[in-house]
Amino acid sequence: MGNDDHALIRAVLAGDKDAYGPLVARHSQSVFRIAFRITENEADAEEVVQETFLRSYRKLEDFDARANFRTWIYRIAMNCALDVLNRQKSQAGVPIAEEYGGEQAAVQLADRAAGPDQLLLSQEIEARRHVAMEKLTPTERVAFVLRHIEDRSTEEIAIALGIAPNSAKQAVFRAVQKLRQSLAPLWVKS
Amino acid sequence: MKHLTEEEMIEHYYSEDFYRAEAETHLQACKQCALAYEELGKFLGSVRAPEPPERSSEYGVQVWQSIQGSLRPYQLKRKRIYFRLPQFAYAAACLLLLAGAFLAGRIWEHAHTKPSLASAPQQSKERVVLFVLDNHLDRSERLLVQLNHAGAEEEVDLPLQAEARQLLTDNRLYRQSAAQTNDPLLAAALDHLERVLVEVANSPDELNRADIARIEKEMNTQGLLFQIRVLRTKVSERQTNAQAVRKGATL
Repeated sequence: MGNDDHALIRAVLAGDKDAYGPLVARHSQSVFRIAFRITENEADAEEVVQETFLRSYRKLEDFDARANFRTWIYRIAMNCALDVLNRQKSQAGVPIAEEYGGEQAAVQLADRAAGPDQLLLSQEIEARRHVAMEKLTPTERVAFVLRHIEDRSTEEIAIALGIAPNSAKQAVFRAVQKLRQSLAPLWVKS
Repeated sequence: MKHLTEEEMIEHYYSEDFYRAEAETHLQACKQCALAYEELGKFLGSVRAPEPPERSSEYGVQVWQSIQGSLRPYQLKRKRIYFRLPQFAYAAACLLLLAGAFLAGRIWEHAHTKPSLASAPQQSKERVVLFVLDNHLDRSERLLVQLNHAGAEEEVDLPLQAEARQLLTDNRLYRQSAAQTNDPLLAAALDHLERVLVEVANSPDELNRADIARIEKEMNTQGLLFQIRVLRTKVSERQTNAQAVRKGATL
């Protein structure tokens, strides 16, 4: 697949715009998955996917032929997701947490055999987790998702975010501490 | 017995600790740490991200259709072909030129340089490095002072983020070279500074008092400011010494 990607990139750079189509088709799903895990919003994730492929097309001349296209596009997706989170933080509108409906989360988290109390608690935990994630800075949030959900190493996180490994590690620490503080009351309750 | 810190436990949880075996032994021996680690593990185990909604198999094609209109085909640049075909010839010519220039420089140096000035290029290089580093530390100090003052003011209206972004790029280079030149004090301070710069640069467009107060508290910017001032003094001393050596060499 890697060689295929490189052949397609060469074709695009030679003027065949349509050769970019198979690249987009091949990597859209995985970019969407990571974008959703960071933004936790379907519309935002789709925006990140589109922006990622637009941006990568414009930067294709800078792509190092020895590199892996998937890793490269993943890094661009991280930056696009960070931009979306930064923009949302700077907008003084209604906090996303208030718009958030817990119904979907309950379906995802609740054990089918669980009783109504357990269901309610799961729903509450998920809503609080979502709010706690919103309170993290964009860098902390992306670092935490990459470390905890995507199981990426500190080095990979540092490369993806363009920061020093120690800064990436600190971002993960701060994210865990903040999440623990925010969710501590519920943790005791459960 | 030294207990594990929360940071060490988090590192251990993600299997990124350097002293994994030691941490494991400690956790087996210390009930207090074992309990705290168990709680951390339970907590982190319970944090799960919502599963991304399924996309249809046509999703990639849909994305392509939505963006293809805004993409312009790459023009096969004449310049690129021009460069690609005789690239080895160009590379060889450049190498020859470089080698020629180097040899000419060496011959000229031998012919015109007094023995006492043999170390002059090295000294002038060090003076340039010290000057640039001093300038960087000066700018960083001003940013930290602004940041610390801004936290106490009612309204914040400062171009801190733009400045932080500019400084960030330079700071990475200086940190890497400080690490290579075996200067742990400077490297540690620049690393700390980089974390603050990243935080400021990635903050929302308009930093408010709460943001600044949080950065100050979490990243100990007052302490960092002190470190930077100490470093500046040291760099100034080194600059003065370098100038003295230069004067001595020219006399």
